[in-house]
This record gives sequence, structure tokens and C-alpha cells, in this order.
Amino acid sequence: MTSLTPLASAQRQPAAEQRYFIAAAVVAALVLLYTQLQRIAEFVTYDVAGLVRGSHLGSAVEFFAFEVPKVLLLLTGVVFIVGVLRSFFTPERARQLLAGRREASGNVLAALFGIATPFCSCSAVPLFIGFVTAGVPLGVTFSFLISAPMINEVALVLLFGLFGWKVAGLYLVTGLLIAIVAGWIIGRLKMERHVEPWVWKIQSGSAGIDVKRTWADRLADGRAAVREIVGKVWIYVIIGIAVGAGIHGYVPTNYLASFMGRGAWWAVPLAVLLGIPMYSNAAGIIPIVQALLGKGAALGTVLAFMMSVIALSFPEMIILRKVLRPVLIATFIGVVAAGILVVGYLFNAVL
Amino acid sequence: MSTQERIEILGPGCSRCKQTFHVIQQVVEQEGLAIEVIKDESIERMMALGLMATPGVAIDGKVVISGRIPKPEEVRHLLGIA
Repeated sequence: MTSLTPLASAQRQPAAEQRYFIAAAVVAALVLLYTQLQRIAEFVTYDVAGLVRGSHLGSAVEFFAFEVPKVLLLLTGVVFIVGVLRSFFTPERARQLLAGRREASGNVLAALFGIATPFCSCSAVPLFIGFVTAGVPLGVTFSFLISAPMINEVALVLLFGLFGWKVAGLYLVTGLLIAIVAGWIIGRLKMERHVEPWVWKIQSGSAGIDVKRTWADRLADGRAAVREIVGKVWIYVIIGIAVGAGIHGYVPTNYLASFMGRGAWWAVPLAVLLGIPMYSNAAGIIPIVQALLGKGAALGTVLAFMMSVIALSFPEMIILRKVLRPVLIATFIGVVAAGILVVGYLFNAVL
Repeated sequence: MSTQERIEILGPGCSRCKQTFHVIQQVVEQEGLAIEVIKDESIERMMALGLMATPGVAIDGKVVISGRIPKPEEVRHLLGIA
């Protein structure tokens, strides 16, 4: 009954080299295009559309024509590379490396793995049980669970594309620090008894996945990641940049500065509180972030808001309720929210 | 005729798990295989198999896919028919 279609196998084999050559050519062309985006945007805005340089509409359109292709190109490239890299990291492997680790060094490693390992909140429960029953300390497990959603490639690319590498870098570093410290604190609090008791009774196997994966498979993973992630977020990116373009051209700067600027002490806690029940991916939140920043809200306040939205999500808490008792969930939210608060104030003070 | 008997799709019932189930069921139907396709949503089974990312696929109790939706060609390959 192995009625394998000869077409499928014939298609896959012949032109592998040729296809790599074409792919390389496409990448080179895209890189070249990326370097020329500013010129193209100016050409489209002022020569094709005939808008006046320095006008409100002109600068809004130029901003849009430059940023949309820039961010989408960047996003596609980064998501592809991350997709390929992630094929090397699996939660199963992370568990193997974290099991029996001590706290501190374990928290650091777990937070780093959290960035590299593919994760969706629907996997939070099996991941949690798999980790703790294999002897990964509770606090170390939390470091992983905090960093995995908070630091993701979409957030980093958007921050880099729209606000520059400094903001993206600060986000990465402080997000990691929150994951490490919050996990460590939860570990120190010895909250194992606030994990639902049935969790500890589960026998977990350690079946490794020993299917050999080729580079072609990994590149296919990268393409799948692009289809899945870029396919989902492109519309948010365009809306976000359109909002940003409007602000760029029209809204006077410092419009919001009076009540969301660094002067208002309550702005950061309010931002964190507002962020917890909101559930969105990094791409969905960027339009808001950009709108707030563009009108003069302080960067620390805005980053705190963004972290709160993507790291503390209400649906994920409901999923985790299956394995965690309310006290531990409250502690988790409290410790992470406190970390985000500190980051918010820090940014407002330093920048 | 392939020698496998049982293919399990593991996951808490999220949309990605359902997609995985459809991909596999389609392959099994198209190839006319006599394989039992089971959708198991229990955490216990996932843990027993050592699986930590969903969706997951196990063939005869051995995990072959973890945390992603497989392509039809891949499923055929895993079932030893392509």
C-alpha cells in the first residue's frame, strides 16, 4: 500500500543546489533593497506622489513608505533565522540541561533558554510539569516561563526597527534580568507546596526525540516560522506604523508628556496594572506603544506597559491555574510586576 | 504496507493540535493505511512520553514531533512510505 506518488519525491531531489543558489540571490537582492529603502521612500513620496517636502502629509507618507518595508523585511529575516536556530533548541533538551541545576546559575541558564526555545502559552502546562518532575527547581522553571513570552523576536525587531538598537537592547537585558531575579525570588520563597499536589505524582518519561533532522528540515522550519508569525502580525505592523506616521507628521511632540511623562510617579504602576488583563502579542501592542511614545509619554512607562502586556497575560494565568495554587499565581504576578515596575522607573530616571 | 499500528496526536486541544490531527488523518486516509489515529489530550500521557511542547506526535509510543505542526510529506516519511 505504499502508493507513494513518484512526483513528490522527484520534485524534492533534483534541483537542491539550484534552489539554494536562487535563495542566496533573493537574499542578496533583499539586502540591497533594504539599504536603499530611504531613497525609495523619498522617491515615492516626493517624485511619484508629488508631495511637498517638509509638509505634514509629506513627512507622514515618507515615514510610512520607509518604515513599512523596513520593518517587514527585518521581521521576515529575523523570524526566519530565529526559526532555524530554534530547531536546535527543544524544551526536552532544555530540561535535560536544567535538571538538577542549582539556583542562581540555573535561573540564568533557564532565562536564556527561555529566549531560544520555541514556546507558546498552550504548552505552558506540559512544560511546567515536565520541568519540575524532572528535578528542575521551581524557581528555575519560573525563570524559563517568564523569559519565554516576554523576550521574543517580534518584540525585539519592532523595538529595533522603530526605536533603535539601544531601546531593543535595554528591553532584552532588563527582560532577562526580570526573568532571572523573579525566578530566583520565587525559588527562595520555597513555594513547592503551592503547586497542585497531583503534579508531583506524575511520572515523567524522558523519551528523547531521536529523529535526525537535516539542514533542509531546519530551513523549512525557518520558512514555516515566517509563514506563521509574519503571516499573523504583518497587519499589526502596518497599522502600527500608520498610526506612528500620523503622529510623526501631525501630533505635536510632548502632547502626553504632562500626564504620562517621567514627572508623574503613578504613570508606571498604572501602566503595569493596565497591562496585566490585556492580552496581545508584541506586534499588536506596538501601535499603542508608538502612539504613546510619539506623544511624549516616557520610555520607561511605555516599556513597562509593553512588558506587562506580553509577560503577564490573563489567559496564561488561567492555563497555569491547573498546576499552580492561587497563592503561587499571585506571587508570580506580584514578583514579575514588581520587576517591571523597577525597570519602568529605572528607564524614566536614566533616559 | 507499513508496520506501524498506532499514531498519537498529543496536545491540550489547541488549534495547532487540531491542525496536526487533520494533517495526519489526511495522510492516513489518502494512503489507505490501517493505522489507528488517536487524539490524546491528557497531560499524563504527554508526561509519560516525555513530551513538553505541543502539538506532539508519537508513533507506537515514540515521540517523533514535538512542538510543531508536521507537513504531509514529513508524516509520510515518518510512516516509512516516502
